[in-house]
Amino acid sequence: MPSEGALRNAGAGLALLGTGIAAYIAIAEAGGGAPACVGGSTGCATVAASPYADVVGSVNVSELGVAGYLMLFGAALVRGDPGRFAGAALALIGLGYTIYLNYVEFFVIEAVCQWCVASAVTITALFAVSVARLVLYGGRDEAR
Amino acid sequence: MTKRKDKDARARAREARLAEQREAAERERRQRLVRLGAAVLFVAVIAVVALIALSGGGEGGDETIEGASAVDRELEGIDQSGTVLGDPDAPVTVREFADLQCPVCASFSEQEIPDVIDRAVRSGDARLEYVNFPILGEDSEVAARAALAAAEQDRMWQFTEIFYANQGFENSGYVTDEFLTGVAEAAGLDVEAWDEARQDPALDDQIAEAQAEAARLGFDGTPSMVVLGPGGEENLGTPSSARQVLAAIESAS
Repeated sequence: MPSEGALRNAGAGLALLGTGIAAYIAIAEAGGGAPACVGGSTGCATVAASPYADVVGSVNVSELGVAGYLMLFGAALVRGDPGRFAGAALALIGLGYTIYLNYVEFFVIEAVCQWCVASAVTITALFAVSVARLVLYGGRDEAR
Repeated sequence: MTKRKDKDARARAREARLAEQREAAERERRQRLVRLGAAVLFVAVIAVVALIALSGGGEGGDETIEGASAVDRELEGIDQSGTVLGDPDAPVTVREFADLQCPVCASFSEQEIPDVIDRAVRSGDARLEYVNFPILGEDSEVAARAALAAAEQDRMWQFTEIFYANQGFENSGYVTDEFLTGVAEAAGLDVEAWDEARQDPALDDQIAEAQAEAARLGFDGTPSMVVLGPGGEENLGTPSSARQVLAAIESAS
């Protein structure tokens, strides 16, 4: 069984990776552009230009992603049940919203952005780590 | 002997008590975990539903038409004739095959075309021709006819640029009469004349000609460009930047 410290470290690392991915997408889209897709694919540009790229008004989904991953990073640093609860809740929110966004990408927009897929893989791994931390150690005092 | 038996019994009782306490603590932990899990699930479901409700799907094109003043500034003082922007006698012609519903065309138009206009069209080195090449479905054809009708008033570039500035998601149904009329008004068209012109079946012939020309050039996506001038013809396919177009203009001069 992995120690809680190992799970927290894995969560923090994955959250930083997700922050990097989301920040790249946000910076690329900030000037009205799109992240560069590997292999000359236009999927990233199509997804970036779709109305689903924004949440409310001009808040981009990727900006929301940066905020979410940073909060997940913070939750990984917090000891005990508050950190376990916040981590699992945020990861579940992230995973649920990612499933919706991927559905939209594949079946509504019919375009695939490789960076969005990378973020989806990252949040799925973060979800597994956060839930493992909550289930294995929830309700227990954390050893220092 | 009896003392030893008593001692063993007390030790067993203590162990049983400790085991009971451990079990009670574990039971309490499990109950706490279930409560935490339920709270996590509740918060997450509410948050995800709210995020989905706030997401932009279904929007686009139904808001007020925007961007007319920026387009006016971009095109100010440049000649227009039909689908051509710039000096009709310019030595080089840049033909852009585009679909008004295409998001990459909108992005190219917003980010790269202004450079081409400023550096080559305003100077009289080249003229830009917008070739309506609808490839994304029926709504694209409706939009192309509307743009060609605007060309009859020599304001097609205002129409296409404002259309792009208000572009919705392709084939989401935003290309309605109301939307097109809004774009036509913002482009400064005589809307009644434009509305009549866009019903003209001859516009379909222009679209068919554009499609045949695109096929000849091997274009199957948008935007695609070809540059023609005294220096020859250069097929750019889908250009990546204004720099590429400007270099082709220089070569064709």
